[in-house]
Amino acid sequence: MNASVRLSASSLRAHKRRFAGTFLAVVLGVAFLTGTLVMGDTLRAGFDTMFGNAAGGTDAVVRSADAITTPGESQGVRQPVGTDLVRTIERVPGVAAAAPSIQGAGQLVGANGDPIGGQGPPTLAGNWITDPELNPYRLAEGRAPQQSGEVVVNRGAAEKGGLAIGDTTTLRTPDPVEVTVVGLATFGGEDGMAQVTFTGMTRADAEKYLTARPGEAASIQVRAGPGVGQRELVDRLVPVLPEGVEAITGQESAAENTDMISSQFLSLFTTFLLVFSGIALLVATFSIHNTFAIVVAQRTRENALLRALGASRRQVTAATLVEAAVVAVTASAAGLAGGIGIAAGLQALFPAIGFPFPEGALVISALSLLLPLAVGVVVCLGSALLPAARAGRTAPLAALRETAVDTSGASRARAVTGTGMLVLALAVTLVGVLLSPSVWLAGAGAVLALASFVVLGPVASATAVRVLGAPLDRLRGVTGVLARRNALRSPKRTAATAGALMIGVAVVSLFTVFGASLKATMDQTVSRSFAGDVAVSAPSFGAGGSGLSPRLAGAVQELPEVDTAVGLGRGVAEVDGEGRALTVTDPVALSRTFDLGTVHGSLDHLGTDGIAVTGSEAEKRGLTTGDTTRLTFTDGRSGTFTVRAVYGQSELAGDYVITRAAWAPHRTQDSDTLVAVAFKDGVDTDAGRAAVEKVADRYGNPEVQTRDEYAQSSAGGIDMMLTLVYALLALAVLIALLGIANTLTLAVHERTRELGLLRAVGQTRAQLRAMVRWESVLVAAFGTVGGLGLGAFLGWVLVAASDGASDSAFAFAVPPVQLAVVALVGLAAGALAGLRPARRASRLDVLRAVATE
Amino acid sequence: MTTTTVTRAAARVVDAVKVYGGGDTAVRALDGVSVDFPAGRFTAIMGPSGSGKSTLMHCAAGLDTLTSGTARIGDTDLSTLDDRRLTLLRRDRVGFVFQAFNLVPTLTVAENITLPLDLAGRRGDTEWVDALIDVVGLRDRLHHRPAELSGGQQQRVAVARAFAGQPDVVFTDEPTGNLDSRSGGEVLGLLGRTVRQTGRTVVMVTHDPVAAAHADEVVFLADGRLVDRMDAPTADKVLDRMKAFEVPS
Repeated sequence: MNASVRLSASSLRAHKRRFAGTFLAVVLGVAFLTGTLVMGDTLRAGFDTMFGNAAGGTDAVVRSADAITTPGESQGVRQPVGTDLVRTIERVPGVAAAAPSIQGAGQLVGANGDPIGGQGPPTLAGNWITDPELNPYRLAEGRAPQQSGEVVVNRGAAEKGGLAIGDTTTLRTPDPVEVTVVGLATFGGEDGMAQVTFTGMTRADAEKYLTARPGEAASIQVRAGPGVGQRELVDRLVPVLPEGVEAITGQESAAENTDMISSQFLSLFTTFLLVFSGIALLVATFSIHNTFAIVVAQRTRENALLRALGASRRQVTAATLVEAAVVAVTASAAGLAGGIGIAAGLQALFPAIGFPFPEGALVISALSLLLPLAVGVVVCLGSALLPAARAGRTAPLAALRETAVDTSGASRARAVTGTGMLVLALAVTLVGVLLSPSVWLAGAGAVLALASFVVLGPVASATAVRVLGAPLDRLRGVTGVLARRNALRSPKRTAATAGALMIGVAVVSLFTVFGASLKATMDQTVSRSFAGDVAVSAPSFGAGGSGLSPRLAGAVQELPEVDTAVGLGRGVAEVDGEGRALTVTDPVALSRTFDLGTVHGSLDHLGTDGIAVTGSEAEKRGLTTGDTTRLTFTDGRSGTFTVRAVYGQSELAGDYVITRAAWAPHRTQDSDTLVAVAFKDGVDTDAGRAAVEKVADRYGNPEVQTRDEYAQSSAGGIDMMLTLVYALLALAVLIALLGIANTLTLAVHERTRELGLLRAVGQTRAQLRAMVRWESVLVAAFGTVGGLGLGAFLGWVLVAASDGASDSAFAFAVPPVQLAVVALVGLAAGALAGLRPARRASRLDVLRAVATE
Repeated sequence: MTTTTVTRAAARVVDAVKVYGGGDTAVRALDGVSVDFPAGRFTAIMGPSGSGKSTLMHCAAGLDTLTSGTARIGDTDLSTLDDRRLTLLRRDRVGFVFQAFNLVPTLTVAENITLPLDLAGRRGDTEWVDALIDVVGLRDRLHHRPAELSGGQQQRVAVARAFAGQPDVVFTDEPTGNLDSRSGGEVLGLLGRTVRQTGRTVVMVTHDPVAAAHADEVVFLADGRLVDRMDAPTADKVLDRMKAFEVPS
């Protein structure tokens, strides 16, 4: 064994406890990373198998070739194909069977009256394809629907809604349809296609409720006869298909579905988790670096002795690095094992909490082993690099000197550099946000601000601890003074310890501020542009929900209390070749319930060839009133529309408005997303609301909300998101706390004699514990305050940059209560981190500490 | 100055036994020592290395507990006190001066002096503390940190700290062990003067006959037993007595 290795081995054995914190930090970070990668791969493989199974009997899918995709949507709207094509296809040689697949939105109401699903994944309804080979769903129990009103429901949805065979319930298509469950189905061997709900009806019902016109289907599923391959089948189909209709193989279709889930959900999910493991590892870097820096400082005399005895710089550096490498490799390996354990645990946990993720063995790819291992080792070794170099530079003479209190870190050069960086960061950010809006400039500024905080940390820590700790002197007397001075002892160490927490808190505050700003924005949007009294909506998030019956607005309009009721439907069309969402409504009523800002022209007479456009879109396309523009719809037809009005506010009304009459020839499944109601003068809101609720009850019972409630529920998804983010950030904060605890433990070890002296001259154990705890709280307070400031600033940058990058105005809001909670959690965490080191310190043997050498 | 009549013991141990470890490796550091440290006197404990003199001081001062026998400060039996009460007793009724690491590096000279008072949350006798600062001659250094003082100055601060709370007794373990003879002389002179001028009690462990000569009385320890006492010691007399230990008798 070479000398460096022998030295590190003995030192590791002797100081196992000192590396416990470092070890844990690496383990946690690597485990999170591994778990994420393994989970992602396993889920992807599971979906692959599931779609493969489900589409096993389908050899080809015939559908229209073009889809119109609006910005912000990954899945386009495809034009339907005629069901009469089925007969043509069946006559093609090699085709064993063909069946139309009619699909639309259909949300079931559960046994308790609440709608099932709708919070993200689609809620689908379709025809129950009678050929079992062509139907991706399999009957698991009961029978197929035979009469109108009978449905098969996928088992996952039925369980969630408490529905069983024989139960009668409502299906919102969005018109409420009374249905009886006659069968339960599985998808590719699972209880459902992930969280997607599916209701299978008879073909006649499906045509009646899910399509605008009978004789249309989303696609046609085709099965090949014996001896005909999928590719061959497609080749035979292509010649008989009309223009604009394409055929793809069953495998391609399954792959498309998997890709869709992957891109919409899985990659989002894994990217999201990877970002958070990145944050956790960044925080870990601080803690690890700090531990090695302290250990090297504590070992100055030992290293100096080695140097005096003839060890070369390289040998001393190598000894430290070998130590780091051993920690890195063992901790990363433990992290890998932990990560696989996490993935296995989650796989078992998800079905238990109602996520029917596909089962199957864990997929552990080489990448998901090598990447976390490499990251763990690089992070750990990288963090130890500087301290190791410092160890090597130890002068042999240092062996003879008393190890002094480290006061480095607050140097002038650092202060000047840091301040310079901070000013530059602010300048770049402000230019990027205010002068020439650019997300890149703003982002660069934000990163620079973070870096300057790290550089300035040691300079700021002294002042910050002095200010934050000032009340402590009065509150806790000499214990407080001691705690504060201890936190001031090594500004660099305090800053590095607090830095880890600072990053964690900064990210938490960033999301808190951004979330609050989004909510404020929605609130502002609703209060600014919604001039009605109540809103009727079917709360949904993402692709779920079925919307509202288009007849609801008309029925509400009949009420004596109501002045105007207007339904807003959604359509899509290509405007000058780009997919755009259209608002389909009664423009006259719209202008009475929504504040559209300044309107040029008039919305009164749009007719079937008129369109109203927002100012920003009009400017982008160079349109003014009187100009014409060409709209191409999903049915392939196009028409020329005249711009009859240009309006200012677009947040709720959308960018393009056309009449129902203009949309009718091109419509697909009809639904409104919102019905806005304005009462007559003198009508009490509660009374009016009760009347509207009574009508709504007949249309599948959507929610009737006042303006404030509507604004709040629009922001409901944000709270859900924030909760998830907080849960994930808990890991980073935990690692930061480990860092604080570890630094304190090392500090206690360093101050053994001093602590013994304090105990000898009369400091009680309780006072000593309080002293260590308060030091911990002070360090945490510094990190928390820095993090809050940085996070609020970054939040502002994000909001301002989003404001600059989009047409709609973003509001910036600082939520004082939430941030106060974050601050309290930070401080409490500090107290918690100090508990163990404080207890260990108070157990010190007074005599051993004061006894002379 | 002539010896005064002993009326009262500031601290005393009776039949003190201290055993470290157990079984075959057990070491009897104190083997039945009984000794009074009279109030208002400066007593030195001497003995060769391993004689148990430091252990005696630690046990008498409540830093360590006896295996058997009793240790008292004034009328308080230390064996009846739990750790908290023992700590409070050290804080309020005992002062300490150690060989080194006497001061808390983060506190100023003034803060170090009043540390036991501050820990107790007492203001103490400000006139007394003020007078002490003059006695130890550190008025111009009050706001310095210990690292900015010489070794002798640091020990003088420690002496001021030990007396600040007007304790029943001040224990000190080789207070001049790390000092040159001039600084050491100053510190010892300071201890002696404080005892004689203010009637305080000091118990000092030392192996240095010159240091012991500053005391009113010397007690000699060997192999964990009290072997001799000497009134009005001089360096030469103490040295002679010590030599007797080295000659196997």
